[in-house]
Amino acid sequence: MDPPAKRAAPLLVAEGVHKSYGGARALHGASLSLYPGEVHGLCGENGSGKSTLLKIVSAQVVADQGRVVLDGAETSFGDASEALAAGIATVTQERALVDDLSVTENIFLGPRKPRAWYGVDWRETRRQARSLLDSLGCSIELDTPVGRLRPDLQQMVEIARALSTDARVLILDEPTSSLADDEVESLFAAVRALKGSGVATVFVSHRLREVFALCDRLTVLRDGEVVGTGPVEEFDEGRLASLMLGRELDLLSLEERRPDHLEGAVLRVRGLNVPGRLGDVNLDVGPGEVVGLAGLVGAGRSDLLGALFGLEPRATGEVEVAGRLFATRGPAHAMAAGIGFVPADRKAHGLVADMTVLENLLMARDARKPRLARPRPSADRRAAAEAGRRFHITGGTRDAAVSRLSGGNQQKVVLAKWFATEPRVLLLDEPTRGVDVGAKAEIYRLLEEAKERGLAILVSSSETAELLLLCDRIVVMARGRITASFDRDEADEVLIARAAMEVGA
Amino acid sequence: MSGSRWTTALRVGRAAVSQRFFAVLVLLVLLVVVFSLTQERFFTSPNIKALLTSAAILWVVSIGLTFVMLAGGFDLSIGSMLALASVALGAFVNDLGVTPAIAIVMTVAFGALLGGGINGVLVGPLGLSFLVVTLGTLILYRGVLNLWSDTRTEQVVSPLLDSLAFDDLLGVPVPVWIMAGTFLLALYVQRSTYFGRDVYAVGGNADAARLSGVRVGRTIIAVYAISGALAAFGGVLQTARIGAASPLVGESVLFDAAAAVLLGGTSFAGGVGGVGGTAIGVLFLATLQNGLSVSGVESFWQQIITGAILIAALLLDRIQRHGLASVGLRVSAPSGEAPPPAVTTEERQ
Repeated sequence: MDPPAKRAAPLLVAEGVHKSYGGARALHGASLSLYPGEVHGLCGENGSGKSTLLKIVSAQVVADQGRVVLDGAETSFGDASEALAAGIATVTQERALVDDLSVTENIFLGPRKPRAWYGVDWRETRRQARSLLDSLGCSIELDTPVGRLRPDLQQMVEIARALSTDARVLILDEPTSSLADDEVESLFAAVRALKGSGVATVFVSHRLREVFALCDRLTVLRDGEVVGTGPVEEFDEGRLASLMLGRELDLLSLEERRPDHLEGAVLRVRGLNVPGRLGDVNLDVGPGEVVGLAGLVGAGRSDLLGALFGLEPRATGEVEVAGRLFATRGPAHAMAAGIGFVPADRKAHGLVADMTVLENLLMARDARKPRLARPRPSADRRAAAEAGRRFHITGGTRDAAVSRLSGGNQQKVVLAKWFATEPRVLLLDEPTRGVDVGAKAEIYRLLEEAKERGLAILVSSSETAELLLLCDRIVVMARGRITASFDRDEADEVLIARAAMEVGA
Repeated sequence: MSGSRWTTALRVGRAAVSQRFFAVLVLLVLLVVVFSLTQERFFTSPNIKALLTSAAILWVVSIGLTFVMLAGGFDLSIGSMLALASVALGAFVNDLGVTPAIAIVMTVAFGALLGGGINGVLVGPLGLSFLVVTLGTLILYRGVLNLWSDTRTEQVVSPLLDSLAFDDLLGVPVPVWIMAGTFLLALYVQRSTYFGRDVYAVGGNADAARLSGVRVGRTIIAVYAISGALAAFGGVLQTARIGAASPLVGESVLFDAAAAVLLGGTSFAGGVGGVGGTAIGVLFLATLQNGLSVSGVESFWQQIITGAILIAALLLDRIQRHGLASVGLRVSAPSGEAPPPAVTTEERQ
C-alpha cells in the first residue's frame, strides 16, 4: 500500500525550535514534520532533546524560538490542555492512571464521559471504551481496577485514553520500555491499526529494532539538532546508531568466549518456592558465567531475583553462595552472603533521588559499617571519583543530587553502587531499561568486566536480543517455573519465545 | 590566600542561599534589626538571655522531631512524652529518692523507651501508620500521666535542677549551654555518622534504602527514640524551670515544634532539611514572641504572624523550586499573544 504520507500536506510541522534550560542548551534549531497516517520514529540518546521537542509540540514547555504549525496554521497553545483539545495527545513512560478506578473510568477520566439527562451515561461510556480497546486489539475486562492489570495492559489503557480525545497526533514516548517482546508486538499491531485512520504517531524507543519494525520515517536528534531525517529505508541500525552517537559504535559486539573455569557454582539454588509465585526453581551459576532469565512479563523473573535477594519472606528452599547456605531473610542477609541486586525500577527502588551521587554510590558498601562511625570524606571522595571514572558517569558532580543525572548515568550509579560492595553474585533486573544505546554499551562492557573477575551474574531482561548478546546460558521462565535452558550457541529468539509461551516442544 | 578565602566565603554564601530555610533566616535577621531599632530594651544582654533561655525547651524538642521528620515520619506524642517525663522525674526524685543527676538520666532513658520502644517499633518493624500510632500514644501517654500523678502538680526540690534552669556559666545561662550542646551533638550525628545518612536515605526513599542494605526498621526505631529522649529532656528542663513535676505541661509544644521544623526547611515528605534549619526556625519563633511582648503588642499577633509566615514560606519554597505556574499563577508569554486557535472539540465532532 502506498503510504499516504507522500502526497498529503504535513499535519504538523515544528520549525527552528530553540530551547535552553538555564545555560544548558536542549534544542538548537530542531525541526520535525509529521504526515497523516505515518509512524514517525524520533531517535536520539538521552539528553539529545527528544523529550524537550515533544513537550514543545504538545505545549507542555514553551520554546524560546521557533514555531509549531498544525494543519497549516501556527499554534500558540497556552498549555497542554489546549494542545490536547486540538488533537495532540501524549502517552509517556510515566504512568498517569488512577489505580483504584476501573478501566472505563480511566479511559474517560475527568468530565469527558458521555452524558444523558440523568447524569453520566455509563452504558454509552462503556460502549465507547470497549470499541476503543477493540481498535487496539485489546480484550481486557472494563470493570477491572487498573491497578490490578499487568503493566502492558495499563499502557493500553493510557493509549485508549489518548485516542478517546480524537487525537490526530499521538506521541508515544518510550511506550515499550516496560513491555516484553510479545506485548510489544500487540502494541505495534494497535499502532499500525491507527495509520488507516490518518493519525500521525510519534514513536520514541531506545530499542532500534523496534524503531525499524514500526516506523515509516525517522528523525534523528543529537545535542538538540537534527542530524538526519527521512524514510526508514534510508537507515540501517549501524548508521542510525552512529548518527545518534556521533561516532562509530563498536561495543555492541562482545567477544564470544565461554568461561573455561566452571568447576563449582558460585550461586546454587535448590527447590526454591514462593507460594503462588515461584515453583521449585533449581539453578546454578558458575564463576564468570552470565545466565539470562527470559520469559514474559509476570513469568516470575523478578520474583526469582527478589527471592534470592531476600525480599520474599515466604520463600522456602536452599540458596548457597560459594558453598555456604544462607537464609533468604532480607537484603542485609543477602548482601552479607555476597549478593548484589540491581532492581528494575531505578527511581522507585534503585536510588534515593534527593541524595548526592556520592551518597548513593557508597550506600550499599557502607551498609555493614557501625552506624555511629564517622564516614571519611576524603577517602569517600576518592572512591566516588574512581567509580565515576571507571563507570564513565558524566553530567553532574558527585555532590549533586543523583536525580540530576540522565537515566543512563543514573543506572550506572546503581551498578557502581553494587560493584563497590565487591559481590560474588550480581542479580540484575532489566539493567538497560530506558537507557540510551551509548549507556547500554557501557553497561554491557561493565558486565563483561565483572564476568572476567569471576562474578556469577544472573540477568533478567524482556529483550531477548539483549540476552542472546550477553549470556552464556539462557533460562526461560513461565508461570513461576523454569521451563527451558539453552546454551548460547543453541539459543535463538524462536526457541526462547516458544518456551516462554509454553508452546509444546 | 585571601582570594581562596573569598571563594570559600562565596561558596558558603551560595550554599546558604540554596538552603530552604534561607527566607526564614532573612526574616529572622530583619526581625532582630527592626526590634533593635524600635525597642531600646530589645537588644540588651538581659533580654537576649531571656529570649534564648525561653527557647530552650522548644529547641531540644524540635531537634528530636527533626530526626523523625527527616526519616519521613512525624511524632504527635512529643507533648505527652514531655509531660510524662516531668511526672516521672518527680516520682524518681520524691518517691524513689533517686539522686537528681541519676534521675535525669533515668528520665531521658525512659523517654527513649517511650519513643523508640513503642512508637518506633510500631511504626518501623511493624509498619503501622505513624500518624495513627503517635496519635494513639499522644492520648495514651496523657491518660497514663494523669492516672499516675492524679492530675496534681508536685514540687521537686533540687539544687541541680535549679541551676539547670537559672544559673550562669562563664556569663552564659546554663540553658543556652544545653542548647548549644544538644545542637552540636545532633549536627554531628546528622552530618558525620552513617546513621545520619541512613536517616536521609529512609526519608528519601525507604524502598531503595532497604534494597541497599540499610536497616530501615532500626533506623526508624532510633529516630523515634531520639524524639522521645529529647522530649523527655524537654520535660526535665520544664520541671527545672517551674520547680515542680506537672501533668499540665507540654500541651502546645507539638504545634510550636512542628512550626519550627517546617520553617527550618525540613519537609513533611522526609529526606530533605536538617537541624541547622530547625535551630533557625526556633530562634525565629522565640524572637517574634519576645520582640512583640517587649513592644507591648498583644500576644495573639504572634500566632497570626507565625501561621501566616509558615504558609508563606511553603509557598515561596514551591515557587522557588517549580516556578510561578506551579501555584496556579499563569505566567504570560513575553511577546504579544494571539488567542488560542478555535480548534475545539465541538468543531471536530
